[in-house]
Amino acid sequence: MEPILLTGNAAAAWGARLAGVDYVPAFPITPQTEIIETLGAWLDSGAMPGRMVTLESEHSMLTAAGAAAATGVRVFSATSSQGLLHAMEMLYTVAGWRAPFVLVNVSRGLSAPITLEADHNDVLAARDSGFLQIHCTDCQEVVDSVLLAYRLAEDTAVRLPVMVNLDGFYLSFTREPVRLPDLAAAREFLPPFDPGSMRFAASAPQSQAVAVLGGSPYSYFRYETHLAARNAISVYQRIAAEFESRFGRERGAVEAYRCDDADIVFFMIGSFASKAREAVDRLREAGRRVGLLRPRLLRPYPAEIIASALLGVRGVAVVDQNISMGQGGVLHTELAAALYGRGSAPAILTSFIGGLGGREIAPQEFFEMAEVTFRAVDEGRSPPPRLLYTETELRELRKLQSVALAEREQTSPAGRATP
Amino acid sequence: MASRVLGTALFRSGFTVQDAPKYGAERRGAPIFSTVRAARGTAINERGVIHNPDLVVVADDTLLTVPAAGILQGLEQGAVVLVNSRESAETWQHRLNLDVQLVILPAAAEVEDRAELPHIGATCAGAAASLLGVIAPDVLAAAIGEELAGLGELVVEQNRRNALAAYRAVQDKKGLVREGKAVAAGDYTPPAWVELSVDDVGIAAPDVRAVANSVQVRTGLWRTLRPTIDYDHCVNCWWVCSSLCPDSAIRVENNTPIIDYDHCKGCMICVGVCPPHAIQGEPEYLAQQREAQSADTGAGDNNGTDTADG
Amino acid sequence: MSEIISRMKDLPSAHLLGAGTPMCSGCGGLEALHQIYDVLGENTVFVNAAGCMTLLSVYPFTPFRGSWLYTAMASAPAGAQGVRDALDLLIQQGRLPPEEDLQVVVLTGDGSAYGMGMSATSGAMDRGLDFIYICYDNEGYGNTGQQYSSATPHGAATATSGGTGGFPGYKKDLFSIWAAHQPSYVATVIASEPLDLAKKIAKARDMSGPRMIIALSPCPTGWDYDPRESVAIGKLAVKTGVWPLKEYENGTVTHTRIPRERPAVEEYLKTQGRFSHLFRPQRNEALLTEIQQRVDRYWAQAQ
Ligand SMILES: Cc1ncc(C[n+]2csc(CCOP(=O)(O)OP(=O)(O)O)c2C)c(N)n1
Ligand code: SF4
Ligand code: SF4
Ligand code: SF4
Ligand SMILES: [Mg+2]
Repeated sequence: MEPILLTGNAAAAWGARLAGVDYVPAFPITPQTEIIETLGAWLDSGAMPGRMVTLESEHSMLTAAGAAAATGVRVFSATSSQGLLHAMEMLYTVAGWRAPFVLVNVSRGLSAPITLEADHNDVLAARDSGFLQIHCTDCQEVVDSVLLAYRLAEDTAVRLPVMVNLDGFYLSFTREPVRLPDLAAAREFLPPFDPGSMRFAASAPQSQAVAVLGGSPYSYFRYETHLAARNAISVYQRIAAEFESRFGRERGAVEAYRCDDADIVFFMIGSFASKAREAVDRLREAGRRVGLLRPRLLRPYPAEIIASALLGVRGVAVVDQNISMGQGGVLHTELAAALYGRGSAPAILTSFIGGLGGREIAPQEFFEMAEVTFRAVDEGRSPPPRLLYTETELRELRKLQSVALAEREQTSPAGRATP
Repeated sequence: MASRVLGTALFRSGFTVQDAPKYGAERRGAPIFSTVRAARGTAINERGVIHNPDLVVVADDTLLTVPAAGILQGLEQGAVVLVNSRESAETWQHRLNLDVQLVILPAAAEVEDRAELPHIGATCAGAAASLLGVIAPDVLAAAIGEELAGLGELVVEQNRRNALAAYRAVQDKKGLVREGKAVAAGDYTPPAWVELSVDDVGIAAPDVRAVANSVQVRTGLWRTLRPTIDYDHCVNCWWVCSSLCPDSAIRVENNTPIIDYDHCKGCMICVGVCPPHAIQGEPEYLAQQREAQSADTGAGDNNGTDTADG
Repeated sequence: MSEIISRMKDLPSAHLLGAGTPMCSGCGGLEALHQIYDVLGENTVFVNAAGCMTLLSVYPFTPFRGSWLYTAMASAPAGAQGVRDALDLLIQQGRLPPEEDLQVVVLTGDGSAYGMGMSATSGAMDRGLDFIYICYDNEGYGNTGQQYSSATPHGAATATSGGTGGFPGYKKDLFSIWAAHQPSYVATVIASEPLDLAKKIAKARDMSGPRMIIALSPCPTGWDYDPRESVAIGKLAVKTGVWPLKEYENGTVTHTRIPRERPAVEEYLKTQGRFSHLFRPQRNEALLTEIQQRVDRYWAQAQ
């Protein structure tokens, strides 16, 4: 099929349509709303069979999604930011049910302060929930990942819900050429959902998600969920290989771009990773041996694949579009944990916090992150983490502060005059 | 409650103490467990279940024979088991066939009334204090005052009397309990850790595909009072008692109500609602004694008795 | 499963809910549930919110002959939505024979129904969800030790209202809030009146749309009385007019029992430790009068 121009949100909706989802519990939130509106229009016009229900909250939406999946239908849902956090209790809960379905998250910064633009703290807050996570860099990956996500979630060796993440604005509202798999090919790749023993029916009564007493059975069920998630690495690789042979697009668990002879690599997820890809090309032109390593699959964490891609690499510049308060970048922490104790690991990991709340990352900043990392490799010591924030930005912020402050003082009853 | 009295008494006697209740899913009326640890001078780092107790106090002897209760697990030679029972130490020694020192609490309050039940805790604590040999009677009395203060002076007094009587009753065995030793690190049995396999989701999710298998749980053990139907007076209005029994423990056969003693929790609702007063309540132990006697004499006593169910 | 229940003799004699559950001895909520289960039968899926009843199914046991799904405290009605929609879809698509269909039943405590789960319940009614909602109302957060909820009656002592006046708030009128949504059916029941209960549940069973039931559930543990009194206290709640038995249908509220000679409400209050501070060390005349007046006013308006 010829490529057409689609936004990331439209690509996500197409993913659901091609997957032949039966049921879409929904709730609006910017920048995700377009996904459910698109699906709603298709369902209303009969372009696609199935049923959509708008719940009264994301907490309810996730409950309905998990319950429907546990009853035996194919479920799709989407949310973002505050919505994902509002549903947090149910993310853990439905993963514990082992209910397979797909949830698209359109990443957006968390309140407070409230904002609309991209930032990964929302999706990373769900990293321990039992949902698997696939992260996208462009709109093509969005539609492909939704199909891959269903195969992964429903695989009998996995049986867990999967989240597909795309960044607000940079993908959600951005049109790019996308090749849509045709319906027949999509169906061949993704056969109908077979719920196995998990369903509700008069002749097959069962009590699902019952309480346990004591740490021993609890440990068993929780660890089984973990083992199923670990299983998902090889299952994903198998599915991605099949996807590539059918559709010709490489979708492995980790993208390694020009890493083979690289001295240093950027390590990041999300839409800004394509900016890093661009920077890698420019740096290569300037004679610097730089690459990009980008996990598509963040849960389960493909530690072995990452470690072997880093063989021979001397320094890694980790760019985190998130921040764990009081600790720093989540990707940086996790990469350090995955590499620690491996003799072959790169000696230097540098940590950069950039792109919070959709803040741009300029090409020069990528070049400079590379230089800082090269220097650290030469000196044999990692510098402290750095927030990507310029003098100009700080000056502008100071102006905002003076406006905010002046406003308060002018209206104060004490009538203190400010110069 | 017993554990808190004992804990406070040991604490007031100069020991470092740790006491804790253990919660299960069961609600009021179900058997409960608690633990007390005491050490001289040193901090107590161990927590949770006591694997090899030096003293086990059993307030309800019906629990002794229930394997699931696990009361006698981990008892090492020389450990002491204090049982509140109407039966003799020899009987229990014979029944349980264990190399432990059994002490019977003869002052066992005959619990005819549930309101009396709380006193059992203080009584047991009194006897236990005596067996430990390191708690003086006045310290025990003070501990009871401290722990039960919220219940009013009358209750405190009643409990004090019971506890001190129990203390005296086992005085000949004062100090019978000896201090246990910590697990040695030099020579230990390593835990048999296993690798969990990735099980099929059909068994690896917390789902139950059996139906109504809760009947395997014998909640009849909770019972301290037993309802018995006098069929001579029963007028077969089964819809009264069998609908109102919360626990589905009265089934109906040929218009006749039959109590399922494996599950009857002894709430006595049926006793109160039966229009012709055909259901009598009595202490469970009396009913059991009666049963034992009739079994000895070979006379069948089938009045509403149904222990084979479920 | 659709036999008519009009006399005591018509009450189900086969009890479907398995014994051996860990509910308290004398639990008025379990008493109601087992009566309800006898009428609804096993072709049901109970969707539960956190509360005492969550412990009905503790691995590997269940008292149910039909199905069960535990969700969370706030969203059981949303779980019911997912199950109902999925069953409809499967039947529509021919993947599930219609005889495999299940009645979807939400089971929650008052803490969920009157509080945390209220918006999920309201949403389910707005959407006309085809389900039955059973709220067993023990007038507090029982599972966590009976703290006050918005179902706690005025003056009751709870773990978080132990002052001299007890709970300062007033029991929320959930019946009216639910009825304001104009669902297919709303009813109050109590296990101590099994015939009234069974009639209403049978009626709800044979209807469609949102069918909402509140069962006042005397709770020996939380209300502080001897378990044997559960039925007597339930009967007093009805006789004194504290718990009106009624139903809403087609825009009309009907009382299914109008207590003629209402004994003083204090006859009911006296039976429970949670109200003992109204009588000891001395009578709290003002509070007792206020409670009585509110009940009187209710019945004056109802007639
Ligand atoms: C989100 C959340 N907050 C708190 C709890 C703790 N909790 C469990 S049961 C319960 C009380 C529920 O009260 P109610 O709905 O009246 O049911 P009851 O316990 O009285 O049966 C609470 C607060 C929980 N499970 N989930
Ligand atoms: S209520 Fe009493 S008289 Fe009626 S059936 Fe039961 S035991 Fe017999
Ligand atoms: S005492 Fe009566 S009402 Fe209570 S559980 Fe036993 S049989 Fe049922
Ligand atoms: S606390 Fe009350 S509602 Fe909960 S199980 Fe016990 S008696 Fe029933
Ligand atoms: Mg409650």
